[in-house]
Amino acid sequence: MEYKREFTKGLWDLNPTFKLVLGMCPTLAVTTAAINGIGMGLATTFVLVCSNIVISLVRNFIPKKVRIPAFIVIIASFVTIIDLIMAGYFYELHKELGLFIPLIVVNCIILGRAEAFASKNNLIASFFDGLGIGIGFTISLTVLGAIREILGNGTLFGAHVMAYNYVPIIVFILPPGAFITLGFLMALMNKIESSRK
Amino acid sequence: MKQDNTLKLVKVLTLICVISAFSLALIYNITKEPIAKQKRLEMIRAIKSVLPPCSVNDPLKDKITINKKDIFIGKNKNGKICGVAFKVYSNEGYGGTIEIMLGIKTKNDSINGIEILSMSETPGLGAKITEKWFKDQFKNRNLKNTVWKVKKDGGDIDQISGATISPRAVTKAVYNGLKFYAKNKNKILKK
Repeated sequence: MEYKREFTKGLWDLNPTFKLVLGMCPTLAVTTAAINGIGMGLATTFVLVCSNIVISLVRNFIPKKVRIPAFIVIIASFVTIIDLIMAGYFYELHKELGLFIPLIVVNCIILGRAEAFASKNNLIASFFDGLGIGIGFTISLTVLGAIREILGNGTLFGAHVMAYNYVPIIVFILPPGAFITLGFLMALMNKIESSRK
Repeated sequence: MKQDNTLKLVKVLTLICVISAFSLALIYNITKEPIAKQKRLEMIRAIKSVLPPCSVNDPLKDKITINKKDIFIGKNKNGKICGVAFKVYSNEGYGGTIEIMLGIKTKNDSINGIEILSMSETPGLGAKITEKWFKDQFKNRNLKNTVWKVKKDGGDIDQISGATISPRAVTKAVYNGLKFYAKNKNKILKK
């Protein structure tokens, strides 16, 4: 099925974090621990898939002039829904992610895919596009969060994985560490790609 | 022509907003009870963990209110008050308000324990105020045996390396709680 391509492109070629470099605010702020990366990634994926589906469904009914406010109302609604669901059923994670859940609204990835894809493609393609980019985002955040957590805190998903006398390199859980780790991962991805060619 | 266009814009946006508002109201109603339940559960957990082990009653049933503050009373098996728990908070956290449940042993007016109810401090830094070692250091402290500041400011409370603001806020909130208890102790113990 040609839809497979729409899904897999979000994992590497169009990876939102390391290729599109979108959604940097939550990416850098939330990835201080691996579990936060997964939580934020999945919440964003939920919003992205839902908004892509709805926007694709109504794409012929929204006049071009008001498409941005229309998209934002739709996106903000889904973000509020996931925020309420997490507060009711995933309380611990909701506490951890806190402020960054409502901030999913301004995550450029979601508006970006709405504008660049969902408003111009059919339902199934938009669904797989949202799913692929969302999962790509989740994996990227989790890897980033895992590295920062291991080096900056000595733990992974809360469990100690470094030797007991390991002195955590605190800079990794601070903002500079986020940039540094992101940079290295991006360089690594580019290196892998260029060595494939 | 232009009028039609504007009218259509208004109609479409209004329709989208109406559908959105309806869906949100629906989800809000569905999640209202689960959210309230989670908050209640969390508070109960916190109260039970900060009240001294001598309390055997249901602290929610033995609740009194002083100056609009809810105070949960812990009674031992003879029905005598042995501990109190109440919320204190600070707006001076690095990421905003920090809410703390403070538990005091009434026999010697010292702290039995604290629990952090809510905070938005930085994970790996200020958020370490929720770790056991940080909370445990408040045990058995009272107004007389402690200088209520972080060590960096000349006091007795251990701060967290790289994050002084969060511990400072917690220290201040707990200190204010102790002062509140001292001021209202007679009222509390009478009830």
